[in-house]
Amino acid sequence: MERGLLRQAVFYHGETLLNLLKCEHNENPDFRGVFDDLPHAEPQRVEEESSPILEQFISQACAVMPPLEQFMEVSFDERRELFFRDVEPGDLVIGKVNSVREYGLFVTLLCAAGALERDIQDLEIKALCPVRHVPSTGNHDDPLSYYQVGDLIRAGVKSVERYQEKLTISLRSSALPSELQEVKLGVITKEDLPLHHTTETYEKLLEHSLGICNPLNVDYLMAKLGISDTQTPSLMRGLQSHCFREEDFAITIRKKQSASWALNVKAGVAHFKSGHHVEAMNEYNKALEIDINNVEALVARGALYATKGGLVKAISDFELALETCPTHRNAKKYFCQTLVERGRQLEREEKLVTAEGLYRKALTIDDMHQEAKEALEKLNIRIQKSLKLKELEAAKEQEKANSTETSAEKLRKILKEEKRMKKKRKSSTSSSSSSSSDLSSSSDDGHSSRKKSKKRKHKHRRSSRGSKKRRRRDSASSNKMGKDNDDWFPAPAITSASFINQKQSINKLLSYEEPTQSKKQEDSNGETSRSKRAVEDSDDESSRSKSRNSGSYGEPVKRNIRSESVGEPDRRESISDDGGGELAKIRNRQEGRFEEPIGGPSHKIRFETSFDGNGDFRERRWVKSTSENAKNRRDSSSSNQSESSYKADPHWKEPSFSRARNLSESEQGRNEKRDGMERGVRNQSDGGK
Amino acid sequence: MSGNQSRSAAYVEATDRMTFEEDSKTHFRVCRFITENGVKLGMRSVPMATACVLYHRFFQSASLQVYEPYLVAMSAIYLAGKVEEQHLRTRDIINVCHRHFHPGSEPLELDGKFWEFRDSIVQCELLILRQLNFQVTFEHPHKYLLHYLLSVRSLMNRHAWSRTPIAETALAVLKDSYHGSLCVRHKPQHLALTSLYIALQTYGVELPRGEREWWQVVCSDISKAQIEAILSELLQLYDMEAKCT
Repeated sequence: MERGLLRQAVFYHGETLLNLLKCEHNENPDFRGVFDDLPHAEPQRVEEESSPILEQFISQACAVMPPLEQFMEVSFDERRELFFRDVEPGDLVIGKVNSVREYGLFVTLLCAAGALERDIQDLEIKALCPVRHVPSTGNHDDPLSYYQVGDLIRAGVKSVERYQEKLTISLRSSALPSELQEVKLGVITKEDLPLHHTTETYEKLLEHSLGICNPLNVDYLMAKLGISDTQTPSLMRGLQSHCFREEDFAITIRKKQSASWALNVKAGVAHFKSGHHVEAMNEYNKALEIDINNVEALVARGALYATKGGLVKAISDFELALETCPTHRNAKKYFCQTLVERGRQLEREEKLVTAEGLYRKALTIDDMHQEAKEALEKLNIRIQKSLKLKELEAAKEQEKANSTETSAEKLRKILKEEKRMKKKRKSSTSSSSSSSSDLSSSSDDGHSSRKKSKKRKHKHRRSSRGSKKRRRRDSASSNKMGKDNDDWFPAPAITSASFINQKQSINKLLSYEEPTQSKKQEDSNGETSRSKRAVEDSDDESSRSKSRNSGSYGEPVKRNIRSESVGEPDRRESISDDGGGELAKIRNRQEGRFEEPIGGPSHKIRFETSFDGNGDFRERRWVKSTSENAKNRRDSSSSNQSESSYKADPHWKEPSFSRARNLSESEQGRNEKRDGMERGVRNQSDGGK
Repeated sequence: MSGNQSRSAAYVEATDRMTFEEDSKTHFRVCRFITENGVKLGMRSVPMATACVLYHRFFQSASLQVYEPYLVAMSAIYLAGKVEEQHLRTRDIINVCHRHFHPGSEPLELDGKFWEFRDSIVQCELLILRQLNFQVTFEHPHKYLLHYLLSVRSLMNRHAWSRTPIAETALAVLKDSYHGSLCVRHKPQHLALTSLYIALQTYGVELPRGEREWWQVVCSDISKAQIEAILSELLQLYDMEAKCT
């Protein structure tokens, strides 16, 4: 059954055709397979009435003949006897309601619908449908009242007593076997009656039926009877299936032949060696015309493409060749070479991720491929460098962005000063208040506040830097944070009070994030080496991170971020999707991170920006991971950076908006990330430092 | 001299009969060739039947002395594939048939000999068409047989039906009937009927009797004697297998 054509026809004609097809082809295994895909859509032609004759024509796969008994004029008794012998529970029958009693319906059977084709109309076979087998029809209290004398009923046979010639039928669909479940039981109309009496002979009926003219009826009926058309049985001794050998079949011979016919390949290789590339290509193409999967031709053509510079086509040719014959030595060799070459090409085009993928692929094919390994290592180094470069650039851009100040910001600075004074008076031991102050100060977004706190922070950092050389556990760092932040950050006036409560969560998040990030670190050589290099290369950064650890939340996290080159792409995306505010924070963090080596004042800036909002700290990590991710995805890294830097500037001018946005966004993100971070933190701490 | 004449007439008759027998054997072998290679080519029953019918019809009017029967057979296969919409490539036909004659040989090279084979097949195809006046569509007994099988199935108890391989046997008998020229001498309904009759008789299946027998219902213009005649011809084919192969 042509699936597409059938679907089209059904779609056009609608439900009626579908029902007809169902009845007609219920036993056709092909149809069943296709049936599930058929859409139950509205018919397209709603204006005109779809012709039932046409639909009958379409659905008729073979001639449906009335029971042979009818023509044979088998005797009454014999028919009756045979019917009771052959009827089984689960058969469909159609009858007319004879009488309605309290205990059930009496039905006189008219004909058997379904597999059992017998002529029973005049047999006067009565069947009982007990009350319990009559399903309730909802509106009526008494299900029996729904049925009246003279109704045509389709029912399923429930039980048979052959010798007493008693039949019990049921109107419940559970009486039917699974394949007949869709058949509607209950009252039917005259149209649903199967073929009725005809005066014509069997022959004439067959000749005139549409189904006999269907050229596919043979295939259909063969399938229906369960006989394969190409392996038809035979009674001849010489035609039994065991007499046929596999290698004599046409398909097998053809394959062998195609392989040997590709002589053109040899000629082509000769051309190639002598430098006539065009002729060589022609020969290869001819060979491939004869045999599309000829390994030799594909390999040779791939080599030719590679030599000429069409590396992509070469790669596809080699892949095809290796599919057919995975152990082809030359194919593997050339394939690796081409992959490495293509990788180099991509590297030049700055598509570092793709290039890396290709190198890896080359290595999977040939473990010992020296060139691929070297290229991969070089590429990794290069990626590291480019990552750092980009970070530096980003940092610089952040700095520039930060340096602008508006009058609104100046005002805020003044306000913050006042708050800070108030805050100082409080002796806040709770980390929450300090964190809130931190947060509020950062959330203020004012450069002035940042600058002021910067100075104080700077001292703080210096002192703490010496004491803490290692990453700390959550509690330690958070406590430290609390104390450190206490003096530096005034209570948030402008920002929402939710910051105060959120400090705890932030700490948690921050600490949790570390292990998460470490967990997420991929086990790839390149990445770990990259991360190691990243860590090792910049002592400044590590020291910076240390100081940060001591004084702030994020040092351990930051280091983690760096070491975990992978990060979480989805989180990163959520960050970038959040909008400009997030990016602004990202910007801030990046800037902050890179500012440290530049000098002291930058410390404060960074610090403040890191506490820009509730989610800030977390986001700082994300920022780092974001940037890392961006760099990891070498293709898009530059664009990401530029994008974020681009966005940072306008957003920077509207700190209030970004702040609000940041807050909401961070709150949203926090919940999702919290669990992962918690898990991650534990793992990280377990992993050891 | 009349004695001589009569002797020579008898002699001629005898030789004729011998020729006829020889020819039948040849035809049997060639049809076996067609059926075997049809299976190897993955042909369905109806195209295979068409190929055999084309072959038989061709040699009804042509002489075996003039035309190479195996070449005609190969072209008949090719033409039948086209007629019954199961197109076969000449390359495949040549491969399979070549291997039939040279078992275990390597596939043919793409050289002059191959192209000559190809040309021969195509030329012979045109010859067959012309010999048959381009009437190459036939009604085959298969669809009738299948419909009769369905009707008879309804008469039987379903368990009895699943126990006895009536359908397979009937179709096997029908397929084997193409080794002889029955297919061109009898109506397709009659052939279908006889195949089914043989199958039912083989397994001793009792069908209910009414006013009329089932085969009378199915095909009104056949008599028991005719069925018997076709039946004996069919069974002779099985005997011939021993003689020819």
